Amino acid sequence: MTLTAQNLSLTIDGTPHLAGVDIALARGGLYTVLGRTLAGKTTLLRVIAGLQPVDEGLLTLDGRDYRALPVWKRSVAMVYQQFINYPHLDVLANVAFPLRRLGVGAAEAQRRARETLARVGLQAFENRRPSQLSGGQQQRVALARALVKNADLLLLDEPLVNLDYKLREQLREEFRSLLAEQAHSIVVYTTTDPTEAMLLGRTISVMHEGRILQVGSPAAVFDRPADIRVAGIINDPPMNLLDGIIADGAIRLAGDIRLALPRHMAEIAPGSYRFGLRAIDAGLRADAVAMRVELAEISGSETLLHVAGGCGRLVLQIEGVHGYAIGDRVGVALPSERMFVFGQDGRLLRAPHSDDRRS
Amino acid sequence: MTRQKYLFLLPGLLVLLAIILFPLLFTIRVSFSSWDVAQPGLDWAGGRNYALMMQDGRFWQSLLRLGFIAVAAVILQYVIGFGLALLVWRDVVLKRFIRVLFLIPMMTTPVIMSVIWRTIFHESLGPANDLVRLLGFAPMPWLSTGGMAVVSVIIVEVWQWTPFMFLLLLAGLLSLPREPFLAAAIDGAGPLRSFMNVTFPMMAPISIAALVIRLIESSKIMETVYVMTSGGPGTATETSSYYIYIRGLREFQIGYAASLSLTYLIIMIVCLTVIAKLLVRFMIPRG
Amino acid sequence: MRTLYLLFKYAAILLWSGFVVGPFLWALSTSFKTANGVMGGPTYIPWLQYQPSLEGWRVLVRTDGTGIDIVGPYLSSIVVTFSASAISLILGTLAAYGLSRFTYRWGFVKTSDITFFFISQRIMPPIVLAIPFFLMLRFLGLLDTIAGLILVYIALLLPIAVWVMVDFFNNVPKQIDEMAMIDGCTPIQTFLRVILPNSLPGLVVAGLFCIIFGWNDFFFAFTMTFTKTQLLPVAVVALNSSVTPWWSLSASALVSVVPLVIVAFLVERFLSRGNLAGAVR
Repeated sequence: MTLTAQNLSLTIDGTPHLAGVDIALARGGLYTVLGRTLAGKTTLLRVIAGLQPVDEGLLTLDGRDYRALPVWKRSVAMVYQQFINYPHLDVLANVAFPLRRLGVGAAEAQRRARETLARVGLQAFENRRPSQLSGGQQQRVALARALVKNADLLLLDEPLVNLDYKLREQLREEFRSLLAEQAHSIVVYTTTDPTEAMLLGRTISVMHEGRILQVGSPAAVFDRPADIRVAGIINDPPMNLLDGIIADGAIRLAGDIRLALPRHMAEIAPGSYRFGLRAIDAGLRADAVAMRVELAEISGSETLLHVAGGCGRLVLQIEGVHGYAIGDRVGVALPSERMFVFGQDGRLLRAPHSDDRRS
Repeated sequence: MTRQKYLFLLPGLLVLLAIILFPLLFTIRVSFSSWDVAQPGLDWAGGRNYALMMQDGRFWQSLLRLGFIAVAAVILQYVIGFGLALLVWRDVVLKRFIRVLFLIPMMTTPVIMSVIWRTIFHESLGPANDLVRLLGFAPMPWLSTGGMAVVSVIIVEVWQWTPFMFLLLLAGLLSLPREPFLAAAIDGAGPLRSFMNVTFPMMAPISIAALVIRLIESSKIMETVYVMTSGGPGTATETSSYYIYIRGLREFQIGYAASLSLTYLIIMIVCLTVIAKLLVRFMIPRG
Repeated sequence: MRTLYLLFKYAAILLWSGFVVGPFLWALSTSFKTANGVMGGPTYIPWLQYQPSLEGWRVLVRTDGTGIDIVGPYLSSIVVTFSASAISLILGTLAAYGLSRFTYRWGFVKTSDITFFFISQRIMPPIVLAIPFFLMLRFLGLLDTIAGLILVYIALLLPIAVWVMVDFFNNVPKQIDEMAMIDGCTPIQTFLRVILPNSLPGLVVAGLFCIIFGWNDFFFAFTMTFTKTQLLPVAVVALNSSVTPWWSLSASALVSVVPLVIVAFLVERFLSRGNLAGAVR
């Protein structure tokens, strides 16, 4: 079973929501769509589900025109980011609902509903109403209802975004194992969180402004982002970008900072480029480039240090909680062997070797 | 997206169109005929009815009268209704009981209550003048002089419909967020200030809706007049609806009445739209 | 200062309460009077100022021809009001759901225009429709019949049902509809199985409004019926113009307005449960 889309385009009120999207999804695949807010992820999902018509483009399932099929005739299940359950039914009836619509008998539907509720850990709650459950429980009910009918397409639209941090982490792990079991379906999961995308998906599609920028395995997209935009999306905090030139066998950044030319940049022609460095790859070293602290953000057990200097602005991701004051002078190490090279058009020219990565 | 969507809309829409559209078109056609008792039937009289209407002082006076009564009644309903809602809004003993009590007049049949009011306003046998005498005034000619008759109609309208304002405005007050009030209190605003600058502006949308709805309904005043005053004394309380009723269904001048009712309808639509827009302009920017 | 305010507050409430119940108390008192209690000037307290009698009430149940037939009009009103309300509610809710969920387009007419068309029917002064309705019913042979009245009342009540339900449906998140469709419901099944069960508060409010406006109408009942069919308001007003004594008049009037007063209590219970805030705008 394959779902393919060609050149999906949709413009609403002059704003393009989808601009020429091509996708190919196969049975058993676990696809995550990663992008910022308003990138078009939700729109794409809704188009696949049949809830939103497109202006142009083809959507076929196993060669048949999928667009002509009304929503209720499709084999699709969806989990929304707002916990959507039927308020007038109890949990068991909620989960049994799709089965009953498919013509399954009441007893059989209840049996299968109970099974699925057990899979999500809610077997004790079957007689409650959704309004009596917590957010996480409601979302589990929604997931159970989506899983119970074993649909061809299982679509999840940022299902964890409305939960608090701890719950999100816990549910992420549960979702991961549950979704991995759905070998019969095509699973598509959208998110704005790169960690989530890489954790949950076997194939990541990066979306930006209605276009798909890159499709690949988590490792492939992370190690070799196709362009600056992907590099910005797949990294959190976004990848630092520094303008500079390669000349005379060295890298020269603004502010007269000179770095040795690493192996992976050996064959690039001299010229102006943009250099990318991950926040975690930059570090503090007393004798390195002098920069001024602009902001120190504490995030969990790490510190994000925003520094500025002659070569521009950077964000450093340092372990531990450190209190730096604004204006402090620090030495910032810019390891050139960890840098990405992007052309002036934004496309990736060179990526560092992945086995060079620090732990 | 789907054919089924017509299944939802069409039954109701077609029924309504059938029941309303044909009569409306018919009225338009009839207004161009001279159908009355002497010559029943649909002939063509051109714009004669409309020409007559232009010279019909009684008709235009009825419109002015209607405007006065409707606006006066609605303003009173709004002020009193708002006042009552404010009084009952927060802590009050027997809140639920009072709320039900205040609701009752709106649920009664206006005509039937008018029958009772007629006995109340009876100048010698009714309690209205009894009350007036108790307060030390001379008995009022409630239904026998023009001015007082208008007042009587307005009193009945206020009694009948203030609950509607009360209901709507109370619901609105109850749904207001607490924060602006707390902020105002912190800023040291007293109750009057708080009302002028916080409560009233936030209630603007509901106020406008309530006023417009009541004006629409008030513009149709007819039953109260029919029962209590029969448009009198003379034509003192003759509203447009009543006058058209007389012409059309009493004197059976169907053609003429049709032209009157269409003009009345159009004037109503224009006035109500203008009033609604003015209200929005003047009440919304206020904070 | 505070006590002054409280004094003022309860005085105002008392005053208005007096104004509200005044007419009822007067009518109640009058319904027990006889000629003595009325002719010499207004009287209020039974036994003290006049001798109470049940004559005003007895006349309502007398069936020998000398009584006032209030039961007939009562039944007619019930049949007409409930039938017209039910039909209006059904057609109106369906139409409201369509207007809330779908987009319609015929030429330059959009969904919002259609919604406005429904709701603006309330502006129509009854007199504009009275004459053509009269002629239409006469043509259909439905003058002075219950069926004819029901037809006319549907035109009155359908806009009300649409007005309330469109607002209500607009406040139900569309995602629930989508979820139902994803779970295999056609739009009609979505409406019947998912949306309708959740729409009880709105339906109650819409139904209530329909019943209130239907029960209380006088004008159309007055112009469309004569002798065979009589609705309650017409029956009571007819008493007004004849030589009916005040006591039977008051009794008839009270008996006619009581049902909806009871409904007022029900409405209040609904209000206090917070259900009205969203449905009434």
